[in-house]
Amino acid sequence: MDELRWEMRAAWAIAHKELRITLRYRLNAINRVVQPIYQVLIPGLLLGATFAVGGEAVGLAESAGTTDIVGYLFLGMLALTLASAAFWDVAFSVKKELDAGTLEPAWLTPTRRETFVIGQTLAGLMLATVTTGVLVVIGVMIFGASLLPQLAIAIPVLALTSVGVLGIGYLVAAIVLRMRDANFFVDAADFLFVALSGAAFPIVVLPDVVRWIAYLLPTTHALDLVRVAALGTRPLLPAAVEWAMLALTSLALVLIGRWTWLTTERRMRIRGTLGQH
Amino acid sequence: MNIIDLRADLRAFGAATRKEWRIMRRYPGTLLSFIFWPIALPLAFVFQAEAFAGGRSDTMGAFATRTGTEQVAGFLFVGWATYMWLSLILWGPGTALRTEQIRGSLEAIFLTPASRLVVLFGPAVSQLIWAVWIFVVVGLALWIGFGITVGPAEALRALSVILVGVPALYAIGALFASVVLRFGEVHSLVQGVRGLFTALCGMSFPIVVLPDWAQTVALTLPPTYLIADLRAVLLAGAGLGRIAGDLLVLAAMGVVLALLAAWAFAVTERHARRGGRLAQY
Repeated sequence: MDELRWEMRAAWAIAHKELRITLRYRLNAINRVVQPIYQVLIPGLLLGATFAVGGEAVGLAESAGTTDIVGYLFLGMLALTLASAAFWDVAFSVKKELDAGTLEPAWLTPTRRETFVIGQTLAGLMLATVTTGVLVVIGVMIFGASLLPQLAIAIPVLALTSVGVLGIGYLVAAIVLRMRDANFFVDAADFLFVALSGAAFPIVVLPDVVRWIAYLLPTTHALDLVRVAALGTRPLLPAAVEWAMLALTSLALVLIGRWTWLTTERRMRIRGTLGQH
Repeated sequence: MNIIDLRADLRAFGAATRKEWRIMRRYPGTLLSFIFWPIALPLAFVFQAEAFAGGRSDTMGAFATRTGTEQVAGFLFVGWATYMWLSLILWGPGTALRTEQIRGSLEAIFLTPASRLVVLFGPAVSQLIWAVWIFVVVGLALWIGFGITVGPAEALRALSVILVGVPALYAIGALFASVVLRFGEVHSLVQGVRGLFTALCGMSFPIVVLPDWAQTVALTLPPTYLIADLRAVLLAGAGLGRIAGDLLVLAAMGVVLALLAAWAFAVTERHARRGGRLAQY
């Protein structure tokens, strides 16, 4: 029991350190909120306006069950910020330690290796939650999204999805350790993850094979549950199945991710290539 | 400048280009990214467009009326290919200077008799190869994925548009290089300006859907003309005569921006040399 408490303290200390570093670079911190707006939301909203008939997104109503294009896209940013936590925050943390030569000293402390990833993911998740919250407020106040109070469902959804995000964090950390220069891989995987989760469009427009892959991502179900509750969109699957899929895919990801991470770090310690970058 | 200086500068230009090309080849991830992004990024917007169309004829009609073409994929692929090229140019000269600053080799390069144009645009020329590559990948993706073919006449007209746009875009890149030299930071500024271009210049939409004030701002930005003219010659079969007015505006912008960039870079460099801050970062 004591050991668990120590590990939790260590995870919190790591998260605290990561948050302090992030907040020191204020422009980058602001960019976390602003970047999705100009890179995804504005181009998406204006593309939607190009297809609008009588000012209404009647096409989106056909494919997703809502004409509230603003609400649809702003809620989609949940997947983007969660993916950013799993992919970039963990990858950058590991890479920074590798480049600075501090990975080996940190790993020689009695803290378990998994705890480092948990701390890094925790920091990413906290930043993702705040970023999504700010984006949704901007969506409602400035862009006129009309969300229902049932949006509160996002809290348990986020809690469950966090488990899957941790699993991805483990996988990304293992890949960065193995590849060392994994920028393109992380960037591309992050993009595909967000796209397949349905952040910017309903996954029903994807080809069948790709859609089945999308069903294996926890964020697909998380987004759908939140959108159905807050916007009344047409659900992809029955609610009970979506909750079960969210739990199952999150659990599977964390198990696969942890196993990959532990195997990778063990192999690298045996080869003595841990500090190479 | 005599003919010997010119020949020496051209040799230095070639050497700077070759150096950047060799560095890029050493990182296979970079090569992969130049295949992945020109396809993946526009494709995501094609799926989004499909969702916004919802399989209805009235939504497709609205798109055709506002854009002047029914080729949704072509419209989006051309827009995002220009965006990627623009990104390369915005990052190019500024990042090259910044890299030399960080490596501590900027002072050594500035002490050589080579022209500053070599330092600024040598790396950018190597990226011109990638720009052509991006458009080739996009052309192939449109042909294989969507059955949209670009004939040699359209390709030549597009190349003419690109050549007219080169001075304006590279001048913007040079302006960024001045900012790097002055402030030692490139990332946030490039992100901001790229965001402005994405939001206003019509990469994924026609600018007619923008509010009036935003359309006015968009018409002062070179990428707006470049994207619109590339779409016109590649998708709407327009001849160069039909877009001659736009091309004149684009060329004039190029002249003004190039003069501004040359002046800004000279002032910034002089300032940095006087203060002995050339290599500080």
